[in-house]
Amino acid sequence: MNFSWIAVWEGLPLLLEGAVLTIIVSLVAMLLAVVLGMVAAVMSQVRHVIPRTVVRIYVEMFRNTPLLIQLFIFYFGLPQIGISFSPFVCGLLALTLYTAAYNIEIFRSGLEAVPKGQHEAARATGLSPLQVSVHIIIPQALRISFPALGNNLVSLIKNSSLVSAIGMVELTFMANDISFQNFRSFEIYGTAVILYVIIVLSLTRVLGVVEKRIFARNT
Amino acid sequence: MTWSVFVEIAPHLLYGTIFTVVLAASALVIGTLAGVSVGLLRFVPSQSLTMAIGGVVEFIRAIPLLMLIFFIFFGLPSIGIDIPTFPAAILALSLWMMANASEVVRGGIQSIPPGQMEAARSTGLSGIQAMRYVVFPQAVRRMLPPYIGLCTILIKDTSLAAIIGVLELTHTSQQLIARTYFALEIYLLAAVIYFCLCYPLSVLARRVEARLQRS
Repeated sequence: MNFSWIAVWEGLPLLLEGAVLTIIVSLVAMLLAVVLGMVAAVMSQVRHVIPRTVVRIYVEMFRNTPLLIQLFIFYFGLPQIGISFSPFVCGLLALTLYTAAYNIEIFRSGLEAVPKGQHEAARATGLSPLQVSVHIIIPQALRISFPALGNNLVSLIKNSSLVSAIGMVELTFMANDISFQNFRSFEIYGTAVILYVIIVLSLTRVLGVVEKRIFARNT
Repeated sequence: MTWSVFVEIAPHLLYGTIFTVVLAASALVIGTLAGVSVGLLRFVPSQSLTMAIGGVVEFIRAIPLLMLIFFIFFGLPSIGIDIPTFPAAILALSLWMMANASEVVRGGIQSIPPGQMEAARSTGLSGIQAMRYVVFPQAVRRMLPPYIGLCTILIKDTSLAAIIGVLELTHTSQQLIARTYFALEIYLLAAVIYFCLCYPLSVLARRVEARLQRS
């Protein structure tokens, strides 16, 4: 057992590059999943039964099956019927759809938590139903949803490690790649673990501070 | 995919499913026992101990499960600790479950008003007795919905063991696809099986949650 700091030092530039990619991919997927989640959550509030059922099925399907299987279906399964994506598009797509399913539930309870009076008052000032949603209800729902959304972002960063399994380059992929070349797997995976912990814990702190700001302004 | 192919692969998928359940159940038992112990240890009246435990739990929770699996299975052998695939997967899943279950336990106990503990102590119960007979039983009801949620995630996450070669449902699917090339059908079948394992738990969690909110 001889720990090699040189292996850590030599692996670090690529691992850091991987860490940056992990952060970028997660942020992009989160942005898309927030938009998709919000649209679907609003759809599930509609009185008509079809959009509600579609959203319900989507949520249950994506939340009750493993992300890895979803990735494999997109990457290895869909080409069979003539739909194929690059690992990057496929990874981003799978992460977005999976996270959106969790976001929908958060937004739904966020929308329901906005007092009914807000809706009526906004309508009474002469805003159209669409304007009421966009300017009055959704901003409040977003604010209520913020803490849970933050948790989802943290999960997303950890989940993004799975896309290495279909060959999308990010932190876990880099760690695999380097350690299969230099056989210093203890050092390389150890460093990757530390990098993930740094990313996740600093994100948690930042989210905590932002959360405090948001809710301080609210009261 | 023809019917004959399906008949041929179905038994394999069934074995894979059983293995997935065994894997999840093992990690569930070990992780829950360890997690409850760790969660309770965070209420020991020693600040240095509770802080150290909190730090370790936070550290483990911040590591992606896949990274934990890789570290245990590929990382440890290079310093002379060789763990075969199945124990490595159980170890990683149990560690994950332990850290998350301990947080559920902590949250549940903290949600019980401190007056309960004080009242129990003032009747002459020791700290441990008060926790065991008064606070913990009340907290368990509040721990249930998030705990069931963890079980669902655990079942889904056993699929990660496929990446280091544990022959559970996902890896079985991969091998069947290598033989038959029916990637879409077989992965969809696997998804349906996972859904059948997880969905009842999701429904149960919602019911328990709803009942809690009514009471």
